[in-house]
Formats: sequence, structure tokens, C-alpha cells
Amino acid sequence: MSKPFFTAYCLVIYAFLLAPILVVVVASFNAGAFLTFPPQGFSFRWYVVFFNNEVFMRAIRTSLWIAAITMVISGVIGTMAAMFYVQYSGRLKETVRIAMLAPLLLPEVLTAIALLFFVYSVGIGTQTMVGMIVGHVLITLPFVFINVSASMESYDPSWSMAAQSLGAGRFTRFRRIMLPLIKPGVIGGCLFAFIISFDIFTISFMLKNVGTSTLPIQLFDYLRTNFTPEAAAVSTCSIVLTLAVVVISEKVLGLRIHRF
Amino acid sequence: MTEVSIEKLTKDYGQGPAVNGISIKIAEGEFISLLGPSGCGKTTTLKMIAGFEDATEGAIRFDGRDVVHVPVEKRDIGMVFQNYALFPHMTVEKNLAFGLEMRKVPKSEIRERIAKVLDMVQLAGYAERYPRQLSGGQQQRVALARALVIEPKILLLDEPLANLDAKLREEMRVFIRDLQRRVGITTVYVTHDQAEAMTMSDRVVVMFGGRIAQIGTPSDIYERPANLEVAEFVGQVNIIRGRVGNRVVSTAFGDVPVSGDYAEGAELMLALRPEAVELLPVGSGAAGVPARVLSSYYSGSLVDYRLELANGAAVNVQAFPRTRFADGDEVLVHAPADRFWPLGPVTGIGA
Repeated sequence: MSKPFFTAYCLVIYAFLLAPILVVVVASFNAGAFLTFPPQGFSFRWYVVFFNNEVFMRAIRTSLWIAAITMVISGVIGTMAAMFYVQYSGRLKETVRIAMLAPLLLPEVLTAIALLFFVYSVGIGTQTMVGMIVGHVLITLPFVFINVSASMESYDPSWSMAAQSLGAGRFTRFRRIMLPLIKPGVIGGCLFAFIISFDIFTISFMLKNVGTSTLPIQLFDYLRTNFTPEAAAVSTCSIVLTLAVVVISEKVLGLRIHRF
Repeated sequence: MTEVSIEKLTKDYGQGPAVNGISIKIAEGEFISLLGPSGCGKTTTLKMIAGFEDATEGAIRFDGRDVVHVPVEKRDIGMVFQNYALFPHMTVEKNLAFGLEMRKVPKSEIRERIAKVLDMVQLAGYAERYPRQLSGGQQQRVALARALVIEPKILLLDEPLANLDAKLREEMRVFIRDLQRRVGITTVYVTHDQAEAMTMSDRVVVMFGGRIAQIGTPSDIYERPANLEVAEFVGQVNIIRGRVGNRVVSTAFGDVPVSGDYAEGAELMLALRPEAVELLPVGSGAAGVPARVLSSYYSGSLVDYRLELANGAAVNVQAFPRTRFADGDEVLVHAPADRFWPLGPVTGIGA
């Protein structure tokens, strides 16, 4: 394939994939009363409505909290699992990997139902957010695991050994040598966990406690009875928020990969 | 300065011992090499001294104190790894500071000691570089500096020159040896390269199959090898056979006197190094055994000849190229009686 043709081909594919998102963004600036495309006039009125809608604002706050908690728990467990996996050389290595990735392979609804039975049988129930967070962690864990174990592949165990010979204990070795060197993988994995948690519908729907709603659930509820551009405004905001998380963490924490 | 004593050290991974009851006494400030082919247990021994491997049995004493149960980070060792293992996310200065920070050395002293050690490895001015910005030899010197700056009890080196090219390797041999002498630190050096072990060490420990075959000075090892295996591993050697007579062994080179208790009539193997043999032109009047040049390899400072003796035995000879012989030339070979070293009765493995 010639180069200009290939470029054009890529552009078409991207256009096809991104067009629906663009449509939503454009539709959110609709001045009319219904969610239509092309929009009728330009206005921010639906953003104003959205920002004044306490139900949506609460759902966003809930979603952000859950995503943050999920990210931390998933980040810690996923990183530890990856560290174990990479240095482990026993017969069950492949089994460990499959077990870690299993939540990706199962339909989310199955996981959700199984978890629902589980949280009730162990007495956690759905009175609190614990059950839902467990579900979110389960779904996001593989992403942390994949990212961290990928960055661990280029980690030379002799770095840890050198640090140890220089007098560094277990925790210091992790904090000062290993963590900085696998940081891109850890941050990448955590970002995935955050963004995916922010977007989970099925698990949240099954396991949420009465009275709280995450953003996707709230949006779903809303669209069942209303069809205003406010839904598009909500979607646009959630897209912007997700992008912001990626960009800010890239800038602040640095996803720069160390080249050796 | 620390004296290291290894006593009946054994490591067994469950498939027979990788290191089998070895004992070595290393004097203060001594440079010891562990030499042997891969799988002989030399690296395992080093890892046990460092603490990265637990000893199955035996003791490792630093100045009399058994450190077998002391974890690596408390053992106070300086280690240089084969791939240097410099921390890639830290500058040279930070790499060197790491061990000192672990020892809670005050900041101002850290700066002084780093400057001093960088000077010592001739890398002053490289403090702000990252490891990836340095050449292999420079990285090697940083690794050495990092191990030495903490002023450890002992210095352990695991094939540190294996990744360097030939010329640099020779420079670094001298460099490491000089540095070690100046610092006066007890050093254990692991290598499979006999030339490295010979040129650098006070004493060489030759290991085969988890056991020590011989401990001795480089000239002990080379000139008085304990057995056939050592003789063949360290440098080139001709194995000359002879039959034991009355206090002499009769060989193709004539009768060689031997001390030692050998039954009369037994067949004995003698080691003869290629450079111990003299080559003389036929008709020079000198004493010698006739031989014919089969082939010769010129390498600048030396020529390696392959000769055939009258009895059909092949002999390798290394000579200065002052007098050159061509392939097919008839020559006389002569070897002084004191250059033959008995290796024991013929075992069947010998050449």
C-alpha cells in the first residue's frame, strides 16, 4: 500500500470510529428542546441545566469517588500481582496469568450476577458501596496487571540485587529502585482502572446500593424518560473529564518511559 | 580489611550439590579468583558469600564472625555485577550516593567521598551523566566505584569484564588490579577466563563440578597443576606419556627424572607447556629429539607450531618468531627436564 493511500485509509477508519462521539459533542450545544442532529442553533443552555441538576452532579461525584477508590485498590493489588507473576517461575505461571485476566474474558453481566450472589451470601449485601467497589476492582484489575507486568519485563532483577548489596532493605528497594522504573506501567494501569471504573454500567447497576447512582446509571435512567440535549451535555462532560484525567496525570506524574 | 573464611560450604538445589563442601581461607587484602567452566559452582559460591543464596551447609566467616544468617543488606559487601546493574533512572552521582544514603552518611561527606571515588576511577566530571550516556568501560568503572565508595568489608566481582571487548578487557584487568591494591580490600573475583584469573589474582581457586580442584598462586596453577583437568583448563598443554623406570620416566623426549612414588613400569602422564619446548634447526649440534613441522600459526609476537615426533605423537610448541620454520621442515626439539610436571598415572582421558 502506498503511503498517502494508507494515511487516507487510517483517517477514514478514525473518522468512522470517532464520528459518533463528535456527534454527541456537537449535539450537546443544541439550542432546541430535543436531542437531534444536526442541532438547531448553538447554545450552552443544556450545560446550565446539567450543572444545576443536583441528581446528575451527585452521580458524577459518586462516580469520581468510586473510580478513585477503585484505582487505588486495583493499583496496589494489580501491581503486587504483577510483581509476583514476573518473578514467579513455577508450573502455575500461566494459570496465574489466566486467573488474573479472567474478569476480562467473562461477560460482565455474568460477573455481576455472580458477585451479587456472593456479596449477599457473605453478608456484605448492597446496603453500602463495598459490593460495587469490589466489582469495580475485579473488572479493572486485569488492566493494572497487564500494564505493570509489561513494564516489569524490562526490569532487570540485578538492579534490586545491586540495591540490596548497597544496604537497601525490601521496602527501600521497592520505593527507590523498582517503583520509579516501573512507574509508567503503574500509572498507565491506574489510569485505565480509573477510566474504566468511571464507565462501568452492568456491575454498578446490579451491585449499587439503594439511593446512590453512578453517572452511567443516572444517564440511563434519564434517557428512559427524557430525550433532551442535556444527556449529550452530560456525555460531553464525562468525555472531557476522562481526557483531563489522562492529560493531567501525564503532565504531573510523567508517563515518560526511561530509555536505557 | 577483612579476612574471609569459607568452611565446608555446600549448596544443594535438590539435584545433587552445586557446590560441594568447599573450604577457602582468604587473607586480609587478598585478591582471590574463582576460576572454572560454567556450571562449576563458582557463581553460586560468590552468591553465597554475598548472601543472595542460602548455604545448605557450612559457614562463611568475615573476621571470624559467621554471616550465613546475615541478610545481604546487612553483610556490608561491595558487589560488581556482570551487566553492571547501574540504576538507569539515576545519574552517576545518585548511583554512587545510594549506598552512602543507606548508611546514613551526612550529605557533605557523601559529596566528598563521591568526588574522591570518581577521581579514583578516572571519571571526575561524569557525575551528572546517566548510565546510558556512558560507554561500557565507563559504566564498568562506575559500578566499581559504587561498590567501593561504601568502603565495604569485601569486594565481590561476578565476571565483570565479560561484556567488554578484548582491548578494553585487558585495560580493565590492570585497572581493577591496581585499584584493588591501592584500596587494599579483600576481593573475590569470579571468571571463566583463565588469563584474567592469572594476571589479576594473588591466588586462584580452580573449581570443577562444585569442588575445588586446586588452590594456588597463578604460577602454581600453571606450572604445577594438581591434575589433568586443571592442566588442560589453564592454558595450553602437551600431555606426554612415559613409562616409569628407575626414578626416571622414559618419554619421547628422553628420560625425565621424577620424584614421587610411582610403581615401576606404570604409564605416567606429564604436562609440558608449549612455550617450554625449544625448537632447533637440524645439524646445529645441539641435543634434541627429531621432529617434523606439521603446521604453524603466526600471531605476531609468537608462532604456534604443531609438530610430529618420530613416534607419531603430536606436540604443540610456542616459539618466538626469531627463527621461523616452514611446514614440513625437519627440526630438533628439546625440553628441559624440570619443565615436565607429573600429572599421575594414565587415566584414559588424556590426549
